Amino acid sequence: MEISAEELNRVEKKNLFASGHRACGGCGQALAARLVADAAGENTIACVATGCLEIFSSPYPDPNWRIPFLHSLFENVSAVASGVEAAYKILKKGPVNIIAQGGDGSTADIGFQSISGMFERGHNVLYICYDNEAYMNTGVQRSSFTPYGAKTTTTPMGNRTRKKNLPMLAADHGIPYVATATVDDYRDLQRKVKKALTIEGPKYLHVLAPCPLGWGHGGDLTVQICRLAKATCLFPVFEIFYGEISNIQKVPQKLPVEEYLRLQARFKHLFKRGEPTKIVAEIQEIANQNIARFNL
Amino acid sequence: MDKLPLGLALDLSKVVPYKTGSWRTMKPLYIMQTPPCTHSCPINNDIRGFLRVLADKQDYAEAWHILTRTNPFPAACGRVCPHPCEDGCNRRDFDTPLAINSAERSVGDYGLEHRLEHRKEVLTTRKEKVAVVGAGPAGLSCAFHLAKRGFPVKVFEAARDPGGMMRYGIPAYRLPKEVLDREIEAILKLGVDLECNVKVGVNIPFDQLRQDYHAVFLGLGAQKGVTLSIPGDDARNVFTGVGFLQEIHRGRIPEVGRNVVVVGGGNTAMDCARVAKRLGADVSVVYRRTRVEMPAITAEIDEAMEERIMFRYHTNPIKIITDEGRVVGLLCVQMELKEADASGRARPVPIPGSESVVPADTVIMATGQEVDYDGIDLARRENKWISVDEYLMTNVEKVFAGGDAVLGLETVSAAIGQGLRAAAAIEDYLEGHVESSLASPPVVYFKDMNSYYYTRKKRFAKEAIPVHERLKSFHEIYAPFDHREIIGEAKRCLSCGLCFDCRNCLMYCPDNAVNIHPATGKYEFDYDFCKGCGLCVKECPCHYIQLTLEK
Repeated sequence: MEISAEELNRVEKKNLFASGHRACGGCGQALAARLVADAAGENTIACVATGCLEIFSSPYPDPNWRIPFLHSLFENVSAVASGVEAAYKILKKGPVNIIAQGGDGSTADIGFQSISGMFERGHNVLYICYDNEAYMNTGVQRSSFTPYGAKTTTTPMGNRTRKKNLPMLAADHGIPYVATATVDDYRDLQRKVKKALTIEGPKYLHVLAPCPLGWGHGGDLTVQICRLAKATCLFPVFEIFYGEISNIQKVPQKLPVEEYLRLQARFKHLFKRGEPTKIVAEIQEIANQNIARFNL
Repeated sequence: MDKLPLGLALDLSKVVPYKTGSWRTMKPLYIMQTPPCTHSCPINNDIRGFLRVLADKQDYAEAWHILTRTNPFPAACGRVCPHPCEDGCNRRDFDTPLAINSAERSVGDYGLEHRLEHRKEVLTTRKEKVAVVGAGPAGLSCAFHLAKRGFPVKVFEAARDPGGMMRYGIPAYRLPKEVLDREIEAILKLGVDLECNVKVGVNIPFDQLRQDYHAVFLGLGAQKGVTLSIPGDDARNVFTGVGFLQEIHRGRIPEVGRNVVVVGGGNTAMDCARVAKRLGADVSVVYRRTRVEMPAITAEIDEAMEERIMFRYHTNPIKIITDEGRVVGLLCVQMELKEADASGRARPVPIPGSESVVPADTVIMATGQEVDYDGIDLARRENKWISVDEYLMTNVEKVFAGGDAVLGLETVSAAIGQGLRAAAAIEDYLEGHVESSLASPPVVYFKDMNSYYYTRKKRFAKEAIPVHERLKSFHEIYAPFDHREIIGEAKRCLSCGLCFDCRNCLMYCPDNAVNIHPATGKYEFDYDFCKGCGLCVKECPCHYIQLTLEK
């Protein structure tokens, strides 16, 4: 399916993910879900794993989805989406956009086997991970996407492990399209969704979606924090086609990671009386590795 | 209930959304704010308004109408105003301020080229007549605004031509006379009656004016030059600054000789020096303080320096040396600066024994001006300037005053601003109500704005004719601007405090609580769903959205 450059770059606002959801004010995931739904369009089936997004957007009798919506468990949204895709194929219906969506917990931890299986079997499904770096729905527990040094209720002294690099893992399945995006650049996010939906086969889109409650920042800073995550090189934005990395978003003016960390209460313990501890330097090292690896 | 397709549990088109607006403690509002350019403009021109029209619609005519709502002299101000708007411009804290002055000139010139006509605000003619004394910037601005409001206005001018200091004080290389003529012509087209060669207080008694008219506005200006009383100031070839410029304007070009010395550091001194330079003399300016304390506008000092005019700072004349009634030199003494005086500038004190002679064939004393009170008796401030109350009324009932005669020596735009305020005050006075002083919205500063969404762009630079070409004639030194370049410059406007359709609030609202009104096309909040997170406030580039407490 071909798509013109003009259509690809057009910003969509269709309210397919409508008002009235129960997300906190300034929720990055709600914002991302709306941008994704609007970009995907009416001809879309949304499969959503258990998690914040499912909880706040689908209570009976007033769900916020204006497209068909299928709720699955934490671990099997990829399997459910695969089934939907198979059903459409066997019934010779379609074409239809099938989007599987989940938080970082259901993507990287609980649902990892099913997402890996979906990639391996080659289903024509776009998987979107809304990465808010912990299990926010159940009360901010650590996930394997929780970054180094971040405080959660299960890592009160700060997380000791590094974030799992799922985009690279997904790319190594040899799938046609992998991309990362953030909610601050809505043009880029919607363009990537539209582009992914034109490609046949399994696709993976990783969206950084700040959680004001879990990260400990004001709801008004959601977009600002995303921007800082990119500017400090902690969240590189790129696309991968069949394992070939391309379209890396360069960061001409790199900022120290401190500027990103200081805005969030989950990193507050990294500053003793306003002075950064050595963990901040270690996080800076992670950013430096990103710069070297992706040539940001 | 209709049967739903297999698998659907709900008809999604019939869902009644849950109203999350009740969670809100803070409420975003679209509020237009005052931009700092308008705030620092003495006439309060709608600068953002005319720049946005230029940038969005490329509509020069509409831009001219927006500008002339307040200022009848855009082409003149675009040339001579020291543009405090650019000092206020928020872009100053980002890259470089907008070239507002050049844009104003470009719009003003367009209006003159296409002979645009002013729009009246009130079409009926009112019965109260108003007299305006002095056809300078203050008087004409007052007449213009009164005429727009439907008052019959008569302007009395002592000189042969209208324009006041804009004509007699500002040389043609800064403000060509035909520009001024055409702008005045456009004002007179509104039905303003002008009578020249009539000096109120001499040709007509001032009291008669008060009897014949319902209100009188005095825009007398400060037309009388003040000389330093030093020995030899009665010699031939000693001029006051104003006197010298008037002679030039009348075409009686004096023999200035080889060396001209101008005394003073104000705008008149700069004009005299540059005119004398164009007459072929070697000019030096003698000023008792330094460049920092000079009251002249910076651009004029810079241009004078470009034109190779010598500046002698810390120098004060004490005697004009004459020979058979002709000037031959100026005896000067060096000064040193001591603690500040009442005017806030450093106080110069002579250094004993530092006298020296500056050779001079002509001395021009641009050391001050005062009001010509011939036949007009009013209460005065410091025994010099007319004293007025906050509504610009003098101590005499129904007589208002403004411009240089009230402010002391100020700029053209300050005088135009006073004319505008006086017109409003006169209208209020004649209608018998106190001036309704509506508070204007607060000013937006750069710290309130989100600079992420703006890109750095080079400022429009006006090109001056090379110095050796300039000095050959009295032609204007800046060539006309390219209209397209000016539109590019208008696009640099940050639109402080007013929506410019960036769609950020619409796209970033996680709750879809921003809609575009189908009829007006304006953005509006859907308070049924807005949770008051403040994301739109933070991401609004121009601080058009504000967070207020929910009641």
